[in-house]
Amino acid sequence: MNGLWMWLKFAWHNCLRNRRRSLVTASIAMLGTAAILLAGGFAQFTYESLAQAAARDTGHLVLGTPAHFSADEDVPLQYGLDDVAALRSALLADPAVRAVLPRVVFSGLISNGDKTAVMMAQGVEPDAEFAVKGPFLTLQEGALLAGDAAQPQVLLGADLARSLKATPGSSLTLLASTTEGAMNAMDVVVVGTFSTGVPDVDKRAVYTSVPVAQQLLATQRVSSLGVFLDRMESTAAARERLGQQFAPLQVQTWEQQAFFYRSVRDLYNRIFGALGVIIGVIVVFVVTNAMAMAVIERTREIGTLRALGTLPAQLLRSLGLEGMLLGGAGALAGALLALGVALLLLLFPVDMPPPPGRSVGYPLSVSVDPALYLLTMLAMVLLTLLASLLVARKTVHMPVVDALGHT
Amino acid sequence: MMHAPADAAAPVVRMRGVRKTYRLGAHVIPALQGVDLEVQRGELLALTGPSGSGKSTILNLCGLIDTPDEGHIALSGTPVQGLDEAERTLLRRDALGFVFQSFNLVPVMTVAENVDYPLFLAGVSAPERRERVARQLAAVGLQDHARHRPDALSGGQRQRVAIARALIKRPRLVIADEPTASLDSHTADQVLDLMRERCQAEGAAFVIATHDQRLTRRCDRVVALLDGRIQ
Repeated sequence: MNGLWMWLKFAWHNCLRNRRRSLVTASIAMLGTAAILLAGGFAQFTYESLAQAAARDTGHLVLGTPAHFSADEDVPLQYGLDDVAALRSALLADPAVRAVLPRVVFSGLISNGDKTAVMMAQGVEPDAEFAVKGPFLTLQEGALLAGDAAQPQVLLGADLARSLKATPGSSLTLLASTTEGAMNAMDVVVVGTFSTGVPDVDKRAVYTSVPVAQQLLATQRVSSLGVFLDRMESTAAARERLGQQFAPLQVQTWEQQAFFYRSVRDLYNRIFGALGVIIGVIVVFVVTNAMAMAVIERTREIGTLRALGTLPAQLLRSLGLEGMLLGGAGALAGALLALGVALLLLLFPVDMPPPPGRSVGYPLSVSVDPALYLLTMLAMVLLTLLASLLVARKTVHMPVVDALGHT
Repeated sequence: MMHAPADAAAPVVRMRGVRKTYRLGAHVIPALQGVDLEVQRGELLALTGPSGSGKSTILNLCGLIDTPDEGHIALSGTPVQGLDEAERTLLRRDALGFVFQSFNLVPVMTVAENVDYPLFLAGVSAPERRERVARQLAAVGLQDHARHRPDALSGGQRQRVAIARALIKRPRLVIADEPTASLDSHTADQVLDLMRERCQAEGAAFVIATHDQRLTRRCDRVVALLDGRIQ
């Protein structure tokens, strides 16, 4: 312990020899660490947000027939679920299941009498859907669907409403193929308009109630059941459990349904992974350069220490500690900087512009993940140690006579 | 790692038929051409001669920081041929002290830490090290400068620190390369007195390469070298 303390003290004093150089080296390590932590924290926040949005949209689990997930239907709800009430009761008996929401997904036409547009519609249970899912869409005009409405209601995407010149109270007609393949039509009243933040969706999206959708499609089936759990972490275990319980029906997780989430995660992992590698290389170069200068300047001193009986391994340890101190100080400062920026963003929110294909921005937030902080700091210290050892290796093994004669 | 125990009756250094050449590009420069030399315990031996005569080469070989091309070298009866680099390092650590012309103190260490360093390397306990360092600094008259950095000392004081560092572990042999060359005559006299006194007090042999006539006059024996041969 005393020996390590002596080497540490020696390394610390050596770091202070050329303060400006040490400061620059530690600053690069600091900026590198902060950049990795901020980028990583931003990516993590994005993943968490997208994961929650995806799970909120579909449910943590989706129960359907195997063909529902893999095959294209010839007629609406060809691969839908029957006996929904029994399935729902059985699902709700599971301790991890908080809610079960049936969903009827269909497409068709919507018309105001003068103009007709294509719609992508979902039949939902109005009261439960909006209560369980929370604010998943922005109501722009009117009200949400009512569960006990006397007449059939629809909620329109804002761009679709604009296209059809529909406002709350307007009457429209829905047209769709029934499960038998015949055409059916139904008059509905617009109760409100909403925006999902994705213009392409808002041009086509229609929400109505499950009974209205089933009446239009002339069926008692639903497309799938969205299963909402008590927490995200229950997803894998519940999937395993419910998958066995409801076989041959199939249970998929929100992640299997969330193409956008997976795409963003893959993209960000590559971008931020490459960024991390670049930062790591820069830090290694800077530390290598700083340590190379330090070692060259001290070659004669290294020769003296070798003459006095210091083993090369002991000198390597000392120089490695020196690099680790610089990297460690920089990593610690970088972590504090990243933490400070993350806190500042909480106190003074900054809005990001809308991503491509979206109409609304989102708040810039950075997650603070202790594991990410610990790993990044550890990696920074190891990188600087590696760079120091790489540089010092040759000099500490130089013949003592040559080292003493170095000018 | 252990090395053979010292033979108290044997000379501290025994060199027999030692030859050493250096290569400088295509040129082969004979540095030593068959040198026989013995240094006894407690002896203050001066090596003199013009530049290139082989003084430093003898110091390097005695100090185990270089190896001969031919011949035999023994320290206190222990042959040093065949020792690997780690064994030579540990032998230097335990049995040899070095005093350099330009002091070669570690600038980031205090005076006490410089003197303490060889004991730290040897694994001596902290309380014993403190006591021995204090005693050694008192012996060289620098007890009041223990916490100073070398750059706060005069040249003479620095060389005193170097001598204290060389003697702190009670070595069998101290290698001194032009120890007074960087000092004024008054300070050089003081350093010489100190070396002589510590040589007698510690029983260590000194091998000193020097051009300084005052120093050679006060050594026990003077060996003159010319073209790699003892005259």
